[in-house]
Formats: sequence, C-alpha cells, structure tokens
Amino acid sequence: MKKLSIIILSLPLLLTVSCRRNLTDINVDPKKAGIVPSNSLFTNAERVLVNTTTSSNVNLNIYRLIVQYWTETTYTDESNYDLNTRSIPRGIWNAMYRDVLEDFERAKTLIPTDVLDPKAQANDLAMTEIMEVYTWYYLVTTYGNIPYSQALDINNPFPAYDDAATIYNDLLARLDAAIGKLDANASNWGSADVIYGGDIPSWKKFANSLKLKMGMTIADANVTKAKSTVESAAAAGVFTSNADNAVYDYTANPPNTNPVWVDLVQSGRKDFVTTNTFVNQLTTLNDPRLSLFLTQDANSTYSGGKPGASNNYATFSKPAVKLTSPDFPGDILDYSEVEFLLAEAVERGFNVGGTAQTHYNNAVTASIKYWGGSDADAVAYLAQPSVNYTTATGTYKQKIGMQKWIALYNRGWDAWIEWRRLDYPALPAPDAPLTATPVRYTYSVDEQNVNFDNYTAAASAIGGDKVTTKLWFDKF
Amino acid sequence: MRKMLSLLAVLVLCTAMAVAQNRTVSGQVKDAKGDPIPFATIKIKGNNAGVAADANGNFKIELPANASITVSAVGFETTELKVGSSNSLSVSLQSSGALNEVVVTALGIKRTRNSLPFAAQQINGEDISKTRTSNFLNSLSGKVSGLEIRQTNTMGGSVNVVVRGTKSLLYNNQALFVVDGIPYNNSNTNTTDQVTGRGGYDYGNAASDINPDDIESMTVLKGAAASALYGSRGNNGVILITTKKAKKGLGITINSGITVGKYDPKTFVKYQKEYGGGYGQYYEDPTGFFLYRDINGDGVKDLVTPTSEDASYGGKFDPNLMVYQWDAFDPSSPYYGKARPWVGASNDPTKFFETALNTNNSVFITGGSDKGTYKLGYTRTDDKGILPNSRISKNMANFQATYNITDKLSATGMLNYNGITGKGRFGTGYNDKNMMTNFRQWWETNVDVKEQKDAYFRTGKNVTWNWADPSDLTPIYWDNVYFSRYENYESDARNRYFGNVMLNYKVLPWLNLMGRVSVDNYDELQEERQAVGSVATSFYKRFNHTFNETNFDFLATVDKEITKDINFKGLLGTNIRKIHNQSILASTNGGLIVPKVYALSNSLSPLDAPTEVNQIGEVDGVFAGATFVWRDMVTLDGTIRRDASSTLPKGNNVYYYPSGSIGFVFSQLVPTATWLSYGKIRANYAQVGSDAPFYSTTDVYDAVTPINGNPQASVNGTKNNSSLRPERTKSTEVGLEMQFIKNRLGFDVTYYDAKTFDQIIPVAVSTATGFNSKFLNAGTMQNKGVELSLYGTPVKTKDFSWTLNLNWTRNRNKVLTLFQGSQNLQLATFQGGISLNASLNQPFGTIRGSNFVYTNGQPTVGANGRYKITNTANEVIGNPNPDWIAGLNNTLKYKNWTLSWLLDMRQGGQLFSLDLYYGLATGITPETSGLNDLGNPSRNTIANGGGIILPGVTEDGKANTIRVSNTNFGQYGYRYSPNARFIYDASFIKLREVLLTYSVPSNIVSKLAPFKGIDFSLIGRNLWIIHKNLPYADPEETISSGNLQGYQSGAYPSVRTVTFNVKLNF
Repeated sequence: MKKLSIIILSLPLLLTVSCRRNLTDINVDPKKAGIVPSNSLFTNAERVLVNTTTSSNVNLNIYRLIVQYWTETTYTDESNYDLNTRSIPRGIWNAMYRDVLEDFERAKTLIPTDVLDPKAQANDLAMTEIMEVYTWYYLVTTYGNIPYSQALDINNPFPAYDDAATIYNDLLARLDAAIGKLDANASNWGSADVIYGGDIPSWKKFANSLKLKMGMTIADANVTKAKSTVESAAAAGVFTSNADNAVYDYTANPPNTNPVWVDLVQSGRKDFVTTNTFVNQLTTLNDPRLSLFLTQDANSTYSGGKPGASNNYATFSKPAVKLTSPDFPGDILDYSEVEFLLAEAVERGFNVGGTAQTHYNNAVTASIKYWGGSDADAVAYLAQPSVNYTTATGTYKQKIGMQKWIALYNRGWDAWIEWRRLDYPALPAPDAPLTATPVRYTYSVDEQNVNFDNYTAAASAIGGDKVTTKLWFDKF
Repeated sequence: MRKMLSLLAVLVLCTAMAVAQNRTVSGQVKDAKGDPIPFATIKIKGNNAGVAADANGNFKIELPANASITVSAVGFETTELKVGSSNSLSVSLQSSGALNEVVVTALGIKRTRNSLPFAAQQINGEDISKTRTSNFLNSLSGKVSGLEIRQTNTMGGSVNVVVRGTKSLLYNNQALFVVDGIPYNNSNTNTTDQVTGRGGYDYGNAASDINPDDIESMTVLKGAAASALYGSRGNNGVILITTKKAKKGLGITINSGITVGKYDPKTFVKYQKEYGGGYGQYYEDPTGFFLYRDINGDGVKDLVTPTSEDASYGGKFDPNLMVYQWDAFDPSSPYYGKARPWVGASNDPTKFFETALNTNNSVFITGGSDKGTYKLGYTRTDDKGILPNSRISKNMANFQATYNITDKLSATGMLNYNGITGKGRFGTGYNDKNMMTNFRQWWETNVDVKEQKDAYFRTGKNVTWNWADPSDLTPIYWDNVYFSRYENYESDARNRYFGNVMLNYKVLPWLNLMGRVSVDNYDELQEERQAVGSVATSFYKRFNHTFNETNFDFLATVDKEITKDINFKGLLGTNIRKIHNQSILASTNGGLIVPKVYALSNSLSPLDAPTEVNQIGEVDGVFAGATFVWRDMVTLDGTIRRDASSTLPKGNNVYYYPSGSIGFVFSQLVPTATWLSYGKIRANYAQVGSDAPFYSTTDVYDAVTPINGNPQASVNGTKNNSSLRPERTKSTEVGLEMQFIKNRLGFDVTYYDAKTFDQIIPVAVSTATGFNSKFLNAGTMQNKGVELSLYGTPVKTKDFSWTLNLNWTRNRNKVLTLFQGSQNLQLATFQGGISLNASLNQPFGTIRGSNFVYTNGQPTVGANGRYKITNTANEVIGNPNPDWIAGLNNTLKYKNWTLSWLLDMRQGGQLFSLDLYYGLATGITPETSGLNDLGNPSRNTIANGGGIILPGVTEDGKANTIRVSNTNFGQYGYRYSPNARFIYDASFIKLREVLLTYSVPSNIVSKLAPFKGIDFSLIGRNLWIIHKNLPYADPEETISSGNLQGYQSGAYPSVRTVTFNVKLNF
C-alpha cells in the first residue's frame, strides 16, 4: 500500500515532466505576419503621409484654420488656437514619426534582402530616402529641434533632440545623395509608388523641387546655403507644369477616399465655413478661383465668417464641392509652388533664370488652371493692377506672400510654413484667441511624460516650448 | 477527503428513547449542515468521564441509564442532551459565531475559519440569491471588505470586481472566479473604443452567467497567501463559488420573482425651462436667435428654430412668439407647415425612460441515496430595461450527479448550460447610440420627446428634430431617439457549457486522490446595426467569439493526526490549463445597399478583411502544500507552486511562488477570560508571479487593405520583447480577529501591503522611436490597506434579534517606479482632452487635463474675465481612487419576519464628467440660465444687465469683478473652462438593499403538504441615494468594468427596483 501511495503521489510530477515539450512554441500569432515585403511598407507610408498633410480632421490637421482659409462654425476651439483640447501637436508628431518614418525606415532595412537587382535596390532606397527627407522637413519646420540622430531606434527609447539647423543641413545632404542615386534605366518600386508609379524622371523633378523649397525655406536664416541649394536644384530641373505635380489619386470609394470628403461630406457635419479674411481678399482681387474654392453663401454670393467667432453655417460660403469630392487628389508639392519659389529666388538674387514676374505669372496661372480655371481667366486676373507683379502693392515678400497664400488654399501646412517665412498676408486675430498666431507647434505632450529630460533640454534650447517661439528659419 | 467542520446553524435534536444500563452508544457530532465536527468533547453529566470525537466527529461512549451528556467543541455552543434508548446518536451543534464556519479555500479545500491563517471572507449563497438581481455580482457590493464592486447602470453591463486594489498597470485586475474548483472565465469583449467612452456596447462580463440560485456559498480569498495555489491567476484575489450539493432524499425548491424598476430622477438631468434651441445670438433673424426664412410662402420671413443646433442657448421662451420648428417640415406631423408658440417641451427626455421589468423563475430538484446524488436546476430570467426596445433573456440549466462506485471510489459529473440572448443593449460613451450623450450634453429644450416618438411610429423613418437645415432635411448630429432605439439596435447571443468529470478515490482514510477534467466553453455572436437614414454611415457588423479553457487536474490530499495534538494536511497536485480564444470581426464598408438587410453581402464597397484573433496558451503547474495544526491553536501553512507558461520566452517561462502563513488562537491561553470569547492573530507572506500577454515576445506587422493591388503593411506600434521575465507580486498580511461577550460582538481586521514589480507592460517610449511602446519588465505598484469587518448582535431574545455587520475597506495605491526616466504612463485618452494615467508617485489612474491657474489658492481670472487655463492638458487634476468604501448591513428578525437593509458607501474618489463639461456649455441645466448677481437674466447681453462674474481672483490677487457674457453658449462649460472645473467628488451613501421576508411558520407549512417551507420577500434595490456630490448623475456609474475608472460620458441614471419573490420548498 505504501508503494502504491508513493507511485500515486509522484504522478503529478511525472505528468508535468512528460509535458516538457516546447511549450513556448505555441506563442506565435498565427494571424499576423512576422515578415512583409518592403514595398508594402513603402506604399503604406506614402499613403499615410499624403493623408496626414491632406486631412482636415479637427483632431489632426488644423492648419487650414491657423492660416484662416476656414473657420469652425460652432466649436471654435482650434480656430482660436486651442491646440491642447484635441492634442493636435501629438497627433502630427505620432503620425509622422510612428506611422510614416518608421515604415519608410523599415522598408529601407528590408530592401537589401527582398530586392535582388542592386540597381533597383539603389532606386528603391533613393525614393524612400527622398520621402523621408520630405517628412523630416515638415517635422523640423513645425517643431524646431526634434529627435533626429537618435530617433527611429527602439533600443534608445528616450532619444535626445538635435539642433534644427544641423538636422536641416543633414537633410539637404541626404537629399542630394538620394537624387544622385536615381537611375532611370533601372527598375524600382513601380506601382507600389502610389504618387508617380515609379517614374524616375518625375522623381528627379520632385526631389529637386523639394530641394528648391527646402533651400528657399532657409533663405532668411542662411543665405549662402539657401543660394547654393536653390541654384543647384533649379539647374537640375524642377517641375515645369501641373503634370509634374506630386499628387496621390484618391478613389471614389472607401477606404482610399480623400480624407476631406470623409470629414466634411461623409460625416454629414457642418463644422467649417470659409473666413472673411480669405473671401475678402479673393473678392477684392476679383479672383477667378473664388467660385472654384468656395460655394456660394445664403445670398448667392460669397462671404466668410469671422475667424474664431460663432458662425451660422447656412450664412457663409463653404469649401467647394470639387475639393470635398472623395476622389479629389491629395497634393503634396506642385508646379505653382515651384514657380513662386523661383520668383522669390530671382528677387533674392539667386541665379535660377527668368524674371520674377514671369515666374509669378506662371505660378498664378498654374494655380488657376489646377483649380479648373482657364488661361483667359489667368490673363485677365494678372492684368489687374492689384495682381500684376509690377503694380501690386508691397515688397516681393508681400506680393508673393499674398498670391502664394491664395494658391496654397487647401494645403494649410505649406501655407503656414510660407506665411511664417514671408510674413504676408497679415492675419487678423480671431475672435477669442488663446495665443498669438502660432509660429510653431509645442511638442507632443507625451514627450513631457516620457522623454522628460530631453524634452526639457530641447524646450530650453529653442527658447521655450511655446507656440509663439520663432524657429531658426523664421527670422522676421 | 475527510469531512471537516461546519457552517452557520440551527440546532436539531435527536430522538430520545428508553435506555438500558451502561451500554455503549456510538454517535457522530455534526453541524447544522450535517458536516461532521471533529474533536468534540463528550462528557457524561454529573460525572467527569468523557471521550473525544475523532476527526470525523465519531465517538463511542459508555453510558449509564438515563444519562445526559454534554457535547462541546471550539466555536460551537455546548449542548446538553438526554440520551434515549437508541444505541446511536446524532448530535448537532449550533455554531457560536462565525468561527466554525467551514470556509472553502483554494482548490476547494474546506477549513474552519479558526484555522485560517489568512484573510478570507465567506458569504452565504442565500445572501446573494435572495436579492434576485440578474447579475449576482451586483449583490456583492458592500458585503465583503477589501472587495470593490463598481457597477454600471446599463442593462446587463459589466461589473468591476477588484480585490485589494489595482495591481497591474495595464492588464487585468479582475478577481479570478472559481466555481467548484474550476476557473470560470470572466472576460468581457468590450472594445477599446467602448472602455474609453467613444461608443459601443457594454456586453457585460462572463461571470454573470453564474446562476445565483445555484450558489451555496462564496469565499473571497483576498491576499496572495490565500490564493497562491492558483498561481498567477490568483494574483488579483479569488472568488470561490461552491454550488449547491445534492443531499439524500428528494428536495424541490421553486423561486419566482418579479421586479419593476424606475429610473432615479436624482441621477438624471434637470432641464432649464427658459431658453430654447440654439448656440447663441448669431443666426439670421433680427434678434439673432432664429433662422429667418419664408416658410409659408407669403413673402415675409418667418422665425425658424436653428434645427441643426444641439444646444439650448437659443431664444427666450415666449408663448406669443410663433416659430417653425422641426415638425413644421415633417409632412406627417399635425404641425406640418405650422408655426408653434415658442415654449419649453411638455415632455422632456425624462419621459423617454420606461418601466424596467424583470421576471426570474427557477426550480431546483435534488435527490439521492447511498449510491449517489443528483441535482437538476433550471432558471429563466427576462429583463426589460428602462430604454425602449431592450431586453435580455437567460436560460440556465444545471446538472450534477455523483455516483459511489465503491465505498472508496466515486464519480462526479457536472454540466451547466447558459443561453443568453440580448437585444437593444444600451449604447455607451460619447456616441450617437447613447441617448444620454444626447440628453445630457447636446439637446434643445424645446424638443418634445413624445412628439419624437410619435414621429417615428407614424413614419418608421428618422424624423429627427436635428435637421441639417430646414432646406436640407437630413439628420445632422442626432437621430430621432426612437428611430435609434428601434433601428440602430444590437443583438447578441451566448451559449456556454461549463462542466467537468471527476473521479475521487479515497485510498486510505487519510489519503485521497482526485482526478478531474473540466471545460469552460462559450461561443457568442454580437451583431451591431446602423440603419440607412441615420446620421452615421449605415453598417452591419458582426463579431463571433469562441472561448475555450480546459483544465486537467490531479490532486492528492493527506489528512492525518501525526500525534494527538498535531494534525497534518498535505496536498500535492498538478494542473494543466489550455486556453484557446478565437474571434472574427467583420463589417460592411461604405454603407448598406438595401435598407434593413443586415448582412455582410449588403455592403456598398468591398469589405475590408475581417479582423481575426486566434490566441492559444498553456500553463503547466505543479504545486504542494502543507498545514500543521497544533491543538486547534497554532496553524502553520506553507505552499509552493511552479508554473511553466507558454507566453514567456523559452528559458524565462518557469517561475515559482511560495507562501507561508501562521495563525495563533491566543484566546486559548486565557480560557478564563469571560469577556473574550475568541482571539486570533495571523500573519503571512507570499510571492506570486504572472506570465505575459499572448504573443508579446515576437514582432508582427499590421496588414492594411491593399490599394489597387499594391499590398500595404505597417510596423506595429508596440515593440515586442523576446527577453521578458515573469512579473511578481510580493505581499504580506497581518490580521487580528476577536470576539467578545459570548460572541455577541466581534471584529476582523487585516493590514496588507503588496508590491507588484517587474510588471510586463508595453512601456510608453518616445514616439520618435517609431513606436508607441515596448514590452518590458518595468514598473512597480504598491497597494496597502486595511480591511475591517465588525459584527455584533445588539439585541437577541427568543423572538427578536438585531444583528449588524460592517465592512470597511481602505486601500492606498501608488505607482512607485515606471520605466527609467518616465514620469507617466498614459493608460488612455478621452474626449475632452483628458487622460487617465499611471503617474510616478501618484495613485493609479490619475486624471490629467488642463487646470486652473491658481493665485493664492484661488482660480485666476484673466483680463477677459474668463478663467486662465494651464498651457498643457497634462496637469494632475483628479484621483479616481476612493479614500474608503464601506457596507453596513442591519438585520432585524421577529418571529417569522426578517427585515434587513444595506447601506453602501464610498468616500472620496473623483471623476471627470464629460456630461457636465458639455452640458453646462450647451445650456441644458438650470444653473446656466436664471438671474445674475444684479437680479437680471444672466443670458441678457452685458449691455442689458446680463452676464456673470466668475468666482476667482484676478492676477493681482483681488476678487474678480469682471462681467462676462452668458449670451452665447459655453460660459459654464468646457469652452472657457479648464478640465479641472468638471472634476467631481464621487462619494455616495446609498440605501443599496432593503429586504423584507416572511417565512410561513412551520406549523402552518406542515399542514400544507407537500410544502416544507414558504417564503415571501419584498426586495428593494438602489431605492435611495442618501448622499452624493455629483449633480444630475449617479457617482457610481461607469462606462465599463476595467482599469479605466473616473470618467463619465452619457451616464445612465440608476434604476430603483422593487421585487416580489416567492420561494417554495417541497
């Protein structure tokens, strides 16, 4: 009996020992991929990037409100520069670092193993690098000093912030290196590139246009660097028509619809009308884009609400049907913008060819035609003394600033960067502003919670983590 | 296994007969439940001779003729009885106090409370089932110290069951439920959106499937020492449920109850009656409060309500003002094309609530003989909620049978089936399907709910008050509430099978072996709908979920007297647990093609790939325990368990947890002290470990729907980690139990301190890394606290008794470390810009948001007369943890009448009310209108003497005197106020339960064959909120169970219920 007991008592141990197979082998998620092709990451990051810059979601992209293209009807927080209630800086920060850059970066690490042709590898890497530079450009011009050299490394969970100007120089170097690697005779991402479908000549123009824009952004802060950058970009070949524009073609059906359609039409909400700031300018200038940008108001004419004030939706003009349609393309860089940059370059004495007026006229014409106007519209418009480059009032910054602001309608982020740099047009204070017009974003609130020491150092380095702290490129 | 001591009790006498001279009488000492009482002392009266009963209560004694004996045992009242002529005796002892309560402890092992060296509180099943609530978890509130119950007011909503505070920073903190030794899954399927107040349904937690009528008793094992044998799952405390066991002979119990419920107006909005719909003075007519359109075609512009505006900062009510309202544009309405006087609604949203109705019927049959016993039960409950078109039905069948194959070998089988169907569960959070969001936050006070009801039933269409515009009759933000209830409803069904087969082999009198295989399996289907014509894009969504847990147990137990004074109990066991959790979630895309066809194939755009989850896990455990009891005075207890888990990395996946406890009944040293009936101190220490969440050791990508044939993928925002280690909790506990004056008064107090460290959590990292978080072992959380149970019987006579029972709990919780330099771990963000956080050196779950800027402790008002607000929304503004919670129960018994009532209290703890954040801004409640300090209507323009002065000081510290406008919306609400203004104290005192029971006297029942007992009960629940500080809502209301507490949005009112129940025993 004793023996039996011993046998029985040792049973549990035997049972457990006999179960000692590889228990941990079952801990692999059968429903998720552990490895994916690099092109799938590139496509996703490209799409998310365009979505982020195109979005009008009040929880993410409120640049249209800051530069007073639109204002909110009832819930006017963001129109009055309240960035906290909806954690706007956090939304942009996370989208760019986590949803865009990390996927581009991961694609780069996978290219060498899943693309066999070394020339195709080089193209893929260069295209990815150009998109990364584009993304970094937005981050550094929005926040100032940001994590860069230590960023995108999960083994360093608390990256230090780098000096914005230093980052910027590195970005320009990376851009040059990437342009040099683009090879039109080799294959590449192809259709996985949802902007140009893998057309390398277009990519070269796109990269040089970006370089032109980046060079001009620092024209007030570092004229030497700006000049060399702008001149070499212009010489290498930038956009020459609207056909070159960097656009992502949204589709008419979900899920790849234009996010503006989702926010304004699909939601059925009535949150935005245009501002009197914008309408009054367009009206004063008899701008043919008025009817292309906006709907008619309750009195079958055009009017806008006071920014930041309570505005009756029915009373005022709203964003035009065209830009709120589901398949309206997302534009991340275009010909009109390039011509404005060239006009400015001429004014600054950079050697890019042509006259300021020609570039200005080309820019305005490109914008009018992009929005559906005709050559005749453009000619008539430019003939007006208030628009004509030689007779319009103000300095070149004022003239270009005004027209660029109009042309960048619906591209709030870019308009905001240009407005800070050119300082025109003057934007009146909204109804109940929390601050002056923001000239940068505060850091993501998570950085205070998680990356506190580095955050504190960065905030002190730029002169305080405030929306009114001017960034290095914004001299005036 | 040896039967041990007893439960609460009544005295039953044995029959006495004529006796012969000096004969041997054998007998058994039992408690009221019929369980043997070991080691009782049997003495012959008038003679010091006596014997002791053995461990099974059996004794033999030589008796003279006509002798009387006295029988005594620790914790029982000494009983004297005259021995008749029979040679066998059955002696029942009445328990004195609760000490001899047989408490079911870990792995179903029964022990007397006397020998327990750790805190464990037992509740009689009757105390749970008699309240007749459809979710028995609600009836635990206030009844156990150390146990915090948070219940939602939604029909069938989940219940938060937390023992001794939140331990895990990000994962499950709910107590483990164990039914008859088998873990009972209590997860819920509430989505992240649901628990963060962004909408969705609270489908309740799975433990609500347990049939309250089948519960014999419930034990709450609070500390790690008590639950260490359950391994990591016992980390959060264990609620052990013992179901009713069959007895010999036939017994039938029928319970039938009906409950009606009404919403409690104290917990709902009061509407101001002065102003109607609109956001302020900026519309079209000359007054600025109305739209100005020619509606009747007479060429003159008419006043029209701004129908798109879901606020009540509109025109002042004036019966002489004729205004076209929403119904003027509904061709089916009697007011079509007509203007109506501008007055407040006759039927405000309080008329939306219906009378809740619940029926609850159960029958239990038990029977058996020497060869075996069986139990068969069936319960049906039907619940209709306070919202239209809502109901939940449950069918529960319970079967259990034991067959004694031989004297030593018995087989037991058990199977429980639950079928639950729900329809029209309440939408939650900030969402169009939660009418409370509408009624509390965004409402026009001129809208008559009954007219909305008529409009829906007239047309069957979404005729809402909230048209986009009189010229654009599409709903803009809010659907007609009745359309929403009847068309945008969910439905769900769950089928659950819970059962086991068990063999029990009593090898030797002191050695028992048990082998068992048990299965907990359920599948559920949840279907959600959004009808064509709603504000939101129409959809159909289905979620299929299957859960399976299989346990293989082997347990050997030893119970032996080593010497006369020392009893040894040992156990050795193994447990293999396999879990398989699978689900698939699919939804239509871009809308529905054909209205009212809720099928995936009815999708306008091609479907996105459904979300599939397939989780497989296994934990293999082996454990041992030993208990030595010396003279019923000193108890030494030790356990150890070793687990190997599949979810940790190879090499790190084995962990051990030891526990050690000591109990000392010091009153045995002073048996002469008459004032002290009982005294025990106890202390213990335990370590438990936990494994990792599924699949947190290897990285994966997220698949994204392809574009034009191009695949898309994204790096998952959480970095997994292949070098995780088990997380650990170390806990210590000391306790003191004392009883006085013949057990009329007693208390049980426990102090505990538990630290959970090396927590496996996805720690927040700078998003500049490209990730939100990385799985690491990091973070320490401490919970320490005091639990006190106080019980007394102030009055006790033959016919009347008054007993009271207080449970008081105070838990202090603190985040001691996070990952490296992290100051804060954000748990979730919520609408309104607030977040719940684990912040360094703060209690768990702190509420962060924007705050006032204080000057000399007073809110600072800026030059514009409005409050200055902090630069970030990252200030700690609230703490959701209560200072203490308590339950006080009083029971009065007079003859066959029993009256008891339970006061349930919570002191402290804060919540953020999104309802008031928005509702005060939109001018729904009376404080947003009325007169200002000048005696003028505050909503007048400042020029007309209106406006208000906010309490506070200006930047120079002087009292604020700047008047701000209250003409447009926002002044009292979120628009010009920091989040901190909407933090409220969540304290309450509630009259939770009132029970009046009448048991028909036995002399009457005996004439009413076949009845053995008839009880009538009248039960009230949540009848009266005696005290609270949160206006217009129930401070206890929460969106879901889980770690995210302290946030209200679209809170449901509490429901006062009254039940009439009849219980029949045959």
